Amino acid sequence: MDLEDADAGLMLRYRDGDAAAFAALYAHYKGPLYRYLLRHARNACAAADLFQEVWSHLIATRARYEPRAKFATFLFHIAHNCAIDYFRRDLNLRRVMPAHDAEATLLEAEVPEHQRPDRVAEFVEQQSAVLAAVAALPQEQREAFLLREETGLNVEEIARITDVPVETAKSRLRYAVRKLKNSLRPMQELEALRLRTYA
Amino acid sequence: MADELDDYLRGGSEISHQYKRDSAPAPPIELDRLVLKAAGSLQARTPFKPHSLAPLAFAASVLLSLALVLAMVFGPQVKKPDDKPQVVRVRIFKSEQPRATPASARERNPALWLHDIDALRRAGRGSEADAEMRRFRSAYPDYIIPISE
Repeated sequence: MDLEDADAGLMLRYRDGDAAAFAALYAHYKGPLYRYLLRHARNACAAADLFQEVWSHLIATRARYEPRAKFATFLFHIAHNCAIDYFRRDLNLRRVMPAHDAEATLLEAEVPEHQRPDRVAEFVEQQSAVLAAVAALPQEQREAFLLREETGLNVEEIARITDVPVETAKSRLRYAVRKLKNSLRPMQELEALRLRTYA
Repeated sequence: MADELDDYLRGGSEISHQYKRDSAPAPPIELDRLVLKAAGSLQARTPFKPHSLAPLAFAASVLLSLALVLAMVFGPQVKKPDDKPQVVRVRIFKSEQPRATPASARERNPALWLHDIDALRRAGRGSEADAEMRRFRSAYPDYIIPISE
Protein backbone atom coordinates (compact mmCIF):
# COMPACT_ATOMS: atom_id res chain seq x y z
CA MET A 1 0.00 0.00 0.00
CA ASP A 2 1.15 3.48 -0.81
CA LEU A 3 1.28 5.14 2.59
CA GLU A 4 0.60 8.49 0.93
CA ASP A 5 -2.62 7.25 -0.63
CA ALA A 6 -5.16 8.96 1.59
CA ASP A 7 -7.97 7.52 -0.51
CA ALA A 8 -7.03 3.98 0.47
CA GLY A 9 -7.27 5.15 4.08
CA LEU A 10 -10.74 6.52 3.39
CA MET A 11 -11.73 3.20 1.88
CA LEU A 12 -10.45 1.39 4.96
CA ARG A 13 -12.54 3.69 7.13
CA TYR A 14 -15.57 3.00 4.98
CA ARG A 15 -14.88 -0.73 5.20
CA ASP A 16 -14.98 -0.33 8.98
CA GLY A 17 -18.33 1.46 8.90
CA ASP A 18 -17.55 5.14 8.35
CA ALA A 19 -20.14 6.25 5.79
CA ALA A 20 -18.70 9.77 5.72
CA ALA A 21 -15.45 8.35 4.37
CA PHE A 22 -17.34 6.90 1.43
CA ALA A 23 -18.96 10.28 0.75
CA ALA A 24 -15.49 11.83 0.55
CA LEU A 25 -14.26 9.13 -1.81
CA TYR A 26 -17.34 9.46 -3.96
CA ALA A 27 -17.00 13.22 -4.21
CA HIS A 28 -13.40 12.82 -5.35
CA TYR A 29 -13.90 10.07 -7.93
CA LYS A 30 -17.43 10.45 -9.26
CA GLY A 31 -16.40 12.89 -12.02
CA PRO A 32 -13.35 10.99 -13.34
CA LEU A 33 -15.16 7.66 -13.17
CA TYR A 34 -18.26 8.95 -14.90
CA ARG A 35 -16.25 10.61 -17.69
CA TYR A 36 -14.12 7.49 -18.16
CA LEU A 37 -17.25 5.36 -18.55
CA LEU A 38 -19.03 7.93 -20.72
CA ARG A 39 -16.13 8.39 -23.14
CA HIS A 40 -15.26 4.69 -23.13
CA ALA A 41 -18.79 3.35 -23.68
CA ARG A 42 -19.70 6.37 -25.87
CA ASN A 43 -23.21 6.20 -24.55
CA ALA A 44 -24.76 8.21 -21.71
CA CYS A 45 -27.33 5.60 -20.64
CA ALA A 46 -24.77 2.81 -20.62
CA ALA A 47 -22.37 5.05 -18.71
CA ALA A 48 -25.01 5.71 -16.05
CA ASP A 49 -25.69 1.99 -15.69
CA LEU A 50 -22.00 1.14 -15.51
CA PHE A 51 -21.41 3.95 -13.02
CA GLN A 52 -23.96 2.45 -10.65
CA GLU A 53 -22.59 -1.03 -11.27
CA VAL A 54 -19.05 -0.01 -10.31
CA TRP A 55 -20.04 1.70 -7.08
CA SER A 56 -22.45 -1.09 -6.20
CA HIS A 57 -19.66 -3.61 -6.59
CA LEU A 58 -17.34 -1.55 -4.42
CA ILE A 59 -20.03 -1.20 -1.75
CA ALA A 60 -20.92 -4.89 -1.82
CA THR A 61 -17.31 -6.05 -1.51
CA ARG A 62 -16.03 -3.41 0.90
CA ALA A 63 -15.67 -5.92 3.74
CA ARG A 64 -12.94 -7.72 1.77
CA TYR A 65 -11.03 -4.58 0.81
CA GLU A 66 -7.29 -4.68 1.40
CA PRO A 67 -5.12 -1.83 0.12
CA ARG A 68 -2.78 -3.69 -2.23
CA ALA A 69 -2.65 -0.79 -4.69
CA LYS A 70 -3.68 2.83 -4.98
CA PHE A 71 -7.39 3.29 -4.45
CA ALA A 72 -7.71 4.76 -7.95
CA THR A 73 -6.19 1.59 -9.39
CA PHE A 74 -8.60 -0.52 -7.35
CA LEU A 75 -11.65 1.53 -8.37
CA PHE A 76 -10.80 1.75 -12.05
CA HIS A 77 -9.95 -1.94 -12.21
CA ILE A 78 -13.55 -2.59 -11.19
CA ALA A 79 -14.67 -0.08 -13.80
CA HIS A 80 -12.50 -1.76 -16.45
CA ASN A 81 -14.06 -5.16 -15.70
CA CYS A 82 -17.59 -3.72 -15.81
CA ALA A 83 -16.80 -2.03 -19.12
CA ILE A 84 -15.36 -5.26 -20.54
CA ASP A 85 -18.59 -7.06 -19.65
CA TYR A 86 -20.59 -4.28 -21.27
CA PHE A 87 -18.60 -4.50 -24.51
CA ARG A 88 -18.97 -8.28 -24.56
CA ARG A 89 -22.72 -7.98 -24.21
CA ASP A 90 -22.76 -5.31 -26.88
CA LEU A 91 -20.61 -7.44 -29.22
CA ASN A 92 -22.86 -10.46 -28.77
CA LEU A 93 -25.82 -8.31 -29.60
CA ARG A 94 -24.18 -7.02 -32.77
CA ARG A 95 -23.28 -10.56 -33.82
CA VAL A 96 -26.88 -11.62 -33.55
CA MET A 97 -28.23 -8.75 -35.60
CA PRO A 98 -26.60 -9.45 -39.05
CA ALA A 99 -27.64 -13.10 -38.92
CA HIS A 100 -31.25 -12.10 -38.99
CA ASP A 101 -31.36 -9.49 -41.70
CA ALA A 102 -34.88 -10.47 -42.59
CA GLU A 103 -35.95 -9.66 -39.09
CA ALA A 104 -33.69 -6.66 -38.70
CA THR A 105 -36.50 -4.22 -38.28
CA LEU A 106 -38.14 -6.32 -35.62
CA LEU A 107 -34.88 -6.97 -33.79
CA GLU A 108 -33.85 -3.35 -33.89
CA ALA A 109 -36.91 -2.47 -31.90
CA GLU A 110 -35.78 -4.93 -29.20
CA VAL A 111 -32.30 -3.40 -28.88
CA PRO A 112 -32.05 -0.99 -25.97
CA GLU A 113 -32.18 2.61 -27.06
CA HIS A 114 -28.69 3.40 -25.80
CA GLN A 115 -27.12 0.50 -27.74
CA ARG A 116 -28.48 1.38 -31.15
CA PRO A 117 -25.61 2.19 -33.60
CA ASP A 118 -27.34 5.34 -34.80
CA ARG A 119 -27.54 6.59 -31.22
CA VAL A 120 -23.79 5.95 -30.75
CA ALA A 121 -23.08 7.85 -33.96
CA GLU A 122 -25.21 10.75 -32.74
CA PHE A 123 -23.28 10.76 -29.50
CA VAL A 124 -19.97 11.01 -31.37
CA GLU A 125 -21.23 13.82 -33.58
CA GLN A 126 -22.27 15.87 -30.57
CA GLN A 127 -18.72 15.96 -29.21
CA SER A 128 -16.01 18.50 -29.79
CA ALA A 129 -13.21 17.65 -32.23
CA VAL A 130 -10.98 16.18 -29.57
CA LEU A 131 -13.79 14.17 -28.03
CA ALA A 132 -14.85 12.89 -31.41
CA ALA A 133 -11.23 11.86 -32.05
CA VAL A 134 -11.12 10.05 -28.70
CA ALA A 135 -14.39 8.30 -29.48
CA ALA A 136 -12.96 7.15 -32.79
CA LEU A 137 -9.95 5.46 -31.17
CA PRO A 138 -9.83 1.66 -30.93
CA GLN A 139 -11.27 0.44 -27.64
CA GLU A 140 -7.97 -0.47 -25.91
CA GLN A 141 -6.22 2.75 -26.99
CA ARG A 142 -9.22 4.81 -26.00
CA GLU A 143 -9.25 3.23 -22.55
CA ALA A 144 -5.52 3.78 -22.01
CA PHE A 145 -5.87 7.47 -22.94
CA LEU A 146 -8.97 7.95 -20.75
CA LEU A 147 -7.35 6.29 -17.76
CA ARG A 148 -4.34 8.55 -18.09
CA GLU A 149 -6.43 11.69 -18.48
CA GLU A 150 -9.01 10.97 -15.79
CA THR A 151 -6.85 9.41 -13.09
CA GLY A 152 -3.36 10.74 -13.76
CA LEU A 153 -2.06 7.23 -13.10
CA ASN A 154 1.25 6.19 -14.66
CA VAL A 155 1.66 3.56 -17.34
CA GLU A 156 2.41 0.81 -14.81
CA GLU A 157 -0.87 1.47 -12.99
CA ILE A 158 -2.77 1.61 -16.29
CA ALA A 159 -1.27 -1.76 -17.19
CA ARG A 160 -2.39 -3.13 -13.83
CA ILE A 161 -5.93 -1.86 -14.31
CA THR A 162 -6.23 -3.30 -17.78
CA ASP A 163 -4.49 -6.60 -16.92
CA VAL A 164 -1.81 -6.26 -19.59
CA PRO A 165 2.01 -6.00 -19.55
CA VAL A 166 3.42 -2.52 -19.06
CA GLU A 167 4.83 -2.46 -22.58
CA THR A 168 1.40 -3.24 -24.00
CA ALA A 169 -0.14 -0.42 -22.04
CA LYS A 170 2.63 1.92 -23.13
CA SER A 171 2.13 0.91 -26.75
CA ARG A 172 -1.61 1.50 -26.58
CA LEU A 173 -1.12 4.91 -25.07
CA ARG A 174 1.52 5.83 -27.61
CA TYR A 175 -0.73 4.95 -30.53
CA ALA A 176 -3.61 6.81 -28.95
CA VAL A 177 -1.60 9.99 -28.56
CA ARG A 178 -0.29 9.77 -32.12
CA LYS A 179 -3.77 9.27 -33.60
CA LEU A 180 -5.23 12.09 -31.59
CA LYS A 181 -2.49 14.41 -32.69
CA ASN A 182 -3.01 13.40 -36.28
CA SER A 183 -6.75 13.89 -35.96
CA LEU A 184 -6.38 17.32 -34.47
CA ARG A 185 -3.59 18.56 -36.74
CA PRO A 186 -5.81 19.56 -39.71
CA MET A 187 -8.05 21.55 -37.41
CA GLN A 188 -5.07 23.17 -35.76
CA GLU A 189 -3.67 24.08 -39.20
CA LEU A 190 -7.08 25.40 -40.23
CA GLU A 191 -7.25 27.48 -37.08
CA ALA A 192 -3.76 28.81 -37.70
CA LEU A 193 -4.70 29.70 -41.28
CA ARG A 194 -7.81 31.51 -40.06
CA LEU A 195 -5.77 33.48 -37.59
CA ARG A 196 -3.30 34.46 -40.31
CA THR A 197 -6.12 35.45 -42.66
CA TYR A 198 -7.81 37.73 -40.16
CA ALA A 199 -4.59 39.06 -38.65
CA MET B 1 7.69 8.16 -31.28
CA ALA B 2 9.14 7.68 -27.82
CA ASP B 3 9.58 11.39 -27.45
CA GLU B 4 6.00 11.93 -28.47
CA LEU B 5 4.75 9.70 -25.61
CA ASP B 6 7.22 11.11 -23.12
CA ASP B 7 6.10 14.62 -23.95
CA TYR B 8 2.53 13.60 -23.39
CA LEU B 9 3.30 11.82 -20.09
CA ARG B 10 5.13 14.86 -18.81
CA GLY B 11 1.80 16.65 -18.93
CA GLY B 12 0.69 19.95 -20.35
CA SER B 13 0.22 18.59 -23.87
CA GLU B 14 -2.22 20.23 -26.25
CA ILE B 15 -4.28 17.02 -26.36
CA SER B 16 -4.68 16.95 -22.59
CA HIS B 17 -5.53 20.63 -22.56
CA GLN B 18 -8.25 20.25 -25.16
CA TYR B 19 -9.63 17.10 -23.60
CA LYS B 20 -9.92 18.67 -20.15
CA ARG B 21 -11.48 21.79 -21.66
CA ASP B 22 -14.18 19.88 -23.53
CA SER B 23 -14.86 16.96 -21.25
CA ALA B 24 -16.23 18.01 -17.92
CA PRO B 25 -19.54 16.25 -17.45
CA ALA B 26 -20.53 15.07 -14.00
CA PRO B 27 -22.91 12.25 -13.15
CA PRO B 28 -26.56 13.25 -12.83
CA ILE B 29 -27.71 14.19 -9.34
CA GLU B 30 -30.03 11.19 -9.33
CA LEU B 31 -27.01 8.91 -9.66
CA ASP B 32 -25.37 10.66 -6.71
CA ARG B 33 -28.46 10.06 -4.63
CA LEU B 34 -28.71 6.39 -5.59
CA VAL B 35 -25.05 5.61 -4.94
CA LEU B 36 -24.81 7.50 -1.65
CA LYS B 37 -28.02 5.88 -0.47
CA ALA B 38 -26.67 2.45 -1.34
CA ALA B 39 -23.49 3.22 0.57
CA GLY B 40 -25.41 4.37 3.64
CA SER B 41 -24.02 7.88 3.40
CA LEU B 42 -27.43 9.50 3.10
CA GLN B 43 -28.80 8.27 6.42
CA ALA B 44 -28.23 11.52 8.24
CA ARG B 45 -29.69 13.59 5.44
CA THR B 46 -32.69 11.42 4.63
CA PRO B 47 -35.88 13.49 4.99
CA PHE B 48 -38.40 12.41 7.59
CA LYS B 49 -40.52 9.56 6.35
CA PRO B 50 -43.25 7.53 8.03
CA HIS B 51 -41.00 4.49 8.28
CA SER B 52 -38.82 6.55 10.61
CA LEU B 53 -41.48 5.87 13.25
CA ALA B 54 -40.83 2.16 13.11
CA PRO B 55 -38.39 2.07 16.07
CA LEU B 56 -40.76 4.18 18.15
CA ALA B 57 -43.70 1.92 17.32
CA PHE B 58 -41.64 -1.10 18.24
CA ALA B 59 -40.68 0.42 21.59
CA ALA B 60 -44.33 1.29 22.29
CA SER B 61 -45.38 -2.29 21.50
CA VAL B 62 -42.77 -3.67 23.88
CA LEU B 63 -43.88 -1.32 26.67
CA LEU B 64 -47.55 -2.17 26.14
CA SER B 65 -46.83 -5.88 26.21
CA LEU B 66 -44.80 -5.49 29.39
CA ALA B 67 -47.59 -3.54 31.03
CA LEU B 68 -50.11 -6.24 30.14
CA VAL B 69 -47.90 -8.96 31.56
CA LEU B 70 -47.36 -7.02 34.78
CA ALA B 71 -51.11 -6.38 35.09
CA MET B 72 -51.81 -10.08 34.69
CA VAL B 73 -49.18 -11.08 37.24
CA PHE B 74 -49.66 -8.41 39.91
CA GLY B 75 -53.16 -7.08 39.23
CA PRO B 76 -56.45 -7.89 41.12
CA GLN B 77 -57.08 -11.60 41.20
CA VAL B 78 -60.27 -13.12 39.92
CA LYS B 79 -60.73 -16.69 41.04
CA LYS B 80 -61.44 -19.05 38.29
CA PRO B 81 -63.77 -21.94 38.89
CA ASP B 82 -61.48 -24.89 39.10
CA ASP B 83 -62.24 -28.46 38.37
CA LYS B 84 -61.45 -29.83 41.82
CA PRO B 85 -64.47 -30.63 44.02
CA GLN B 86 -64.78 -28.09 46.75
CA VAL B 87 -65.21 -28.97 50.39
CA VAL B 88 -68.05 -27.05 51.99
CA ARG B 89 -67.98 -26.86 55.72
CA VAL B 90 -71.49 -26.84 57.13
CA ARG B 91 -72.39 -26.51 60.76
CA ILE B 92 -75.17 -28.90 61.63
CA PHE B 93 -77.46 -27.85 64.46
CA LYS B 94 -79.33 -30.58 66.20
CA SER B 95 -82.96 -29.84 66.98
CA GLU B 96 -83.67 -28.90 70.57
CA GLN B 97 -84.83 -31.65 72.77
CA PRO B 98 -88.51 -31.40 73.66
CA ARG B 99 -89.12 -29.89 76.99
CA ALA B 100 -89.47 -32.51 79.74
CA THR B 101 -92.93 -33.16 80.86
CA PRO B 102 -94.23 -35.38 83.67
CA ALA B 103 -94.72 -38.95 82.65
CA SER B 104 -98.34 -38.79 83.77
CA ALA B 105 -98.95 -35.68 81.71
CA ARG B 106 -97.27 -37.17 78.65
CA GLU B 107 -99.30 -40.31 79.12
CA ARG B 108 -102.68 -38.81 79.99
CA ASN B 109 -105.11 -36.86 77.92
CA PRO B 110 -105.91 -33.55 79.64
CA ALA B 111 -109.64 -33.92 79.16
CA LEU B 112 -109.65 -37.45 80.51
CA TRP B 113 -107.34 -36.35 83.30
CA LEU B 114 -109.79 -33.60 84.32
CA HIS B 115 -112.65 -36.13 84.15
CA ASP B 116 -110.82 -38.39 86.59
CA ILE B 117 -110.17 -35.46 88.94
CA ASP B 118 -113.84 -34.58 88.82
CA ALA B 119 -114.77 -38.20 89.61
CA LEU B 120 -112.45 -38.16 92.65
CA ARG B 121 -114.13 -35.00 93.92
CA ARG B 122 -117.58 -36.41 93.41
CA ALA B 123 -116.53 -39.52 95.29
CA GLY B 124 -115.63 -37.37 98.32
CA ARG B 125 -111.92 -37.72 97.87
CA GLY B 126 -111.32 -34.02 97.75
CA SER B 127 -107.68 -34.04 99.02
CA GLU B 128 -106.69 -36.50 96.35
CA ALA B 129 -108.63 -34.50 93.76
CA ASP B 130 -106.73 -31.31 94.80
CA ALA B 131 -103.37 -33.07 94.68
CA GLU B 132 -104.19 -34.44 91.26
CA MET B 133 -105.32 -30.95 90.12
CA ARG B 134 -101.94 -29.51 91.18
CA ARG B 135 -100.16 -32.12 89.14
CA PHE B 136 -102.49 -31.33 86.20
CA ARG B 137 -101.69 -27.62 86.47
CA SER B 138 -98.01 -28.26 86.57
CA ALA B 139 -98.33 -30.43 83.50
CA TYR B 140 -100.73 -28.16 81.58
CA PRO B 141 -100.40 -24.70 83.05
CA ASP B 142 -102.11 -23.01 80.14
CA TYR B 143 -104.90 -25.46 79.64
CA ILE B 144 -108.24 -23.76 79.92
CA ILE B 145 -110.43 -25.77 82.15
CA PRO B 146 -114.02 -25.59 81.03
CA ILE B 147 -116.50 -24.25 83.55
CA SER B 148 -118.37 -27.05 85.22
CA GLU B 149 -122.01 -27.19 84.41
